[in-house]
Amino acid sequence: MRETVLIVDDHPSFRASARRMLEADGYDVVGELDNGDGVVAAVEKLNPEVVLLDVHLPDIDGFEVTRRLLDADGASPQIVLISSHDLTDLDEAVCASGARGFVAKSELSAEAISLLIR
Amino acid sequence: MTAPRRTLIGLAGLAFLMGIAAFVVMLNGEHNVHRGAFAGLFLATGWGFVGVGLWVWKQRSAGNIGPLMVAVGLSGLLKGLAFSNDSVVFAIASVGEVLIYAVLIQLLLSFPSGRLETRLDRLLVTIAYVNTTVVQLGVFLFTDPAKADPSNPLLIENSEAAGVLSAAQLDISIALLGAVVAVLYRRWRSGTPGRARVFAPIVAVGGLTFLLLMAALVVEQAGLSSDISDAQTLALFASIACLPFAFLVGLLRSRFSEADAISELLAQLGEGGGRGALRNALADALGDPTLELAYWVLDQDAYVDAAGQPVRVDPAPAGKVSTIIEHEGERIAAIVHSPGLAEDRELVQTAGAAAGLTLRNERLDAELRAKVAELQASRSRIVQAGYEQRRRLERDLHDGAQQRLMALGIDLRMVRERIEHDPQGAAELLDESLHELNEATAELRELARGIHPAVLTNRGLHAALKGLASRSPVPVELLQTPADRLPPSVESAVYFVVAEALTNAARYSRAQTVTVGVVRDNGHVDVEVRDDGVGGADADQGSGLRGLQDRVAALDGRLELTSPQGLGTILRATIPCA
Repeated sequence: MRETVLIVDDHPSFRASARRMLEADGYDVVGELDNGDGVVAAVEKLNPEVVLLDVHLPDIDGFEVTRRLLDADGASPQIVLISSHDLTDLDEAVCASGARGFVAKSELSAEAISLLIR
Repeated sequence: MTAPRRTLIGLAGLAFLMGIAAFVVMLNGEHNVHRGAFAGLFLATGWGFVGVGLWVWKQRSAGNIGPLMVAVGLSGLLKGLAFSNDSVVFAIASVGEVLIYAVLIQLLLSFPSGRLETRLDRLLVTIAYVNTTVVQLGVFLFTDPAKADPSNPLLIENSEAAGVLSAAQLDISIALLGAVVAVLYRRWRSGTPGRARVFAPIVAVGGLTFLLLMAALVVEQAGLSSDISDAQTLALFASIACLPFAFLVGLLRSRFSEADAISELLAQLGEGGGRGALRNALADALGDPTLELAYWVLDQDAYVDAAGQPVRVDPAPAGKVSTIIEHEGERIAAIVHSPGLAEDRELVQTAGAAAGLTLRNERLDAELRAKVAELQASRSRIVQAGYEQRRRLERDLHDGAQQRLMALGIDLRMVRERIEHDPQGAAELLDESLHELNEATAELRELARGIHPAVLTNRGLHAALKGLASRSPVPVELLQTPADRLPPSVESAVYFVVAEALTNAARYSRAQTVTVGVVRDNGHVDVEVRDDGVGGADADQGSGLRGLQDRVAALDGRLELTSPQGLGTILRATIPCA
């Protein structure tokens, strides 16, 4: 059974590359979203096992989206935060967020995600 | 007001003759029980007003006060002729006998400047003249005011009209006198201490006169005994007889008060005292502790205070009045003072003129402070603009090229994994990657151009402006550019002036064409960008033009926007370039 993923990032070419990479490595990308506000509803509807969530979104940031997802009733997906900044810039906020982990976009690979969610 | 000597002598002669005539007429008048007393008071009043009036007139000061006092005196003597036994003299004098009150009201309300300063003053004086001429004529035509011979030769028998007109004239007179007393009292109370001193004798005697007149009118209205009426009339004329001397005292006090104020001002200015001393000296001299000084800064086309901060002068702030001060024909400052001083505007201007040289020096000081304040504000805006530009750059890099390079990284890692077992798929991914790379390169190039266009450094202003023109969505005609290279900072400013103007033309102007001209001439560079769009651009709107203004001002240049509605927009910059 392939693991299902929702990609949340406001940059279309990055989403396309991430989808290609994840699908090539056996993930099932069930949806894409370019904003933070619609994530809770999308998760309720698509019920993904993993949410690949950009920290810098145009409306609300990824940490706030994480808080809303964790506060929401129902099944909680595993949240992997991503950013073009590296972890040193975001270390404390990532630790406090309740997300499963963080991957810098420059290091993003299916293997890095697998290590975090298993 | 100037008056030829002949006019003054003629008026004096006229007053002398009218006085003698009125005196004789009154002594022989048969409808007057107190002939001697009335005759003496009339003569004293008439000659008193004319004498003081001619003296004031001769001094060529106090505006119309002199002529008005002469008019009061002559109309008082005319009133005396109404006691004549001759029906023609009686008729003429009776029609004009109450004119004295209207002239007196005008005199009181225009004291000491000689001008009616407020709309209420002008209204009251107009009503007074209508009441003492038009209404008086009507009253005379329908009433016989003589208690004995001669009878009214113009009498029209109509008791109803007589009653209505007399009652109307009385009512109007009482209301008018009440209003004038109230205005005088308010003026006395609300003025500065010096002004209150000037007003005191006039308010005291004038107020008493009008109160007696009101009482006389009320007695007349109530139809009380003639003994009371005669006593009141005597008291009234005794009071009127004192009035010219009250005016004289008031005018002399006014002169002394002005002289004192100016002497005090000059003494305080002589003591120096640094910034703010001039304001304090003027406030003391004019008796207005709330007084403020505003200095005219020609460059900024605005007034500033001593600290160089903008001040509103026209219109003055609520509850204040401004008086503009000139020195040697040049506007140098404005005194913003309480409305109480507005009627002493001449004193304010005299004080301002006396302090002219000091004001001029302090204006230079304030002008310098205004420039420093503007420079500080401009520096702060430049720092802020730099901060915002860096933030925008970071955001543009993050949202644009950086994301594309991240995606490219993912794709290239996949290519590396596929290249052996799926060369076809890897080739397709490489095509995608090349596309992303080209997009990222284009975005970076655009960003770099926004920071500083390399073409400007490498190939000069003409090539850089041609590049701007070729990328503009609105057709651009590049008229001329300097043949030689300009200093880098000037070239950069010119480039960004043109870039901003073209961006605005494309976004807002709906222009069909834009022309760009850059000319180096006589130690400066003139840039002009002109479009044929809808106009109506506002330099205060949007940060782009303000940023440009700062950029140009940093080089001691000037930026001007002309954008009348419907007539296109012209952006001009003049930058010093030795």
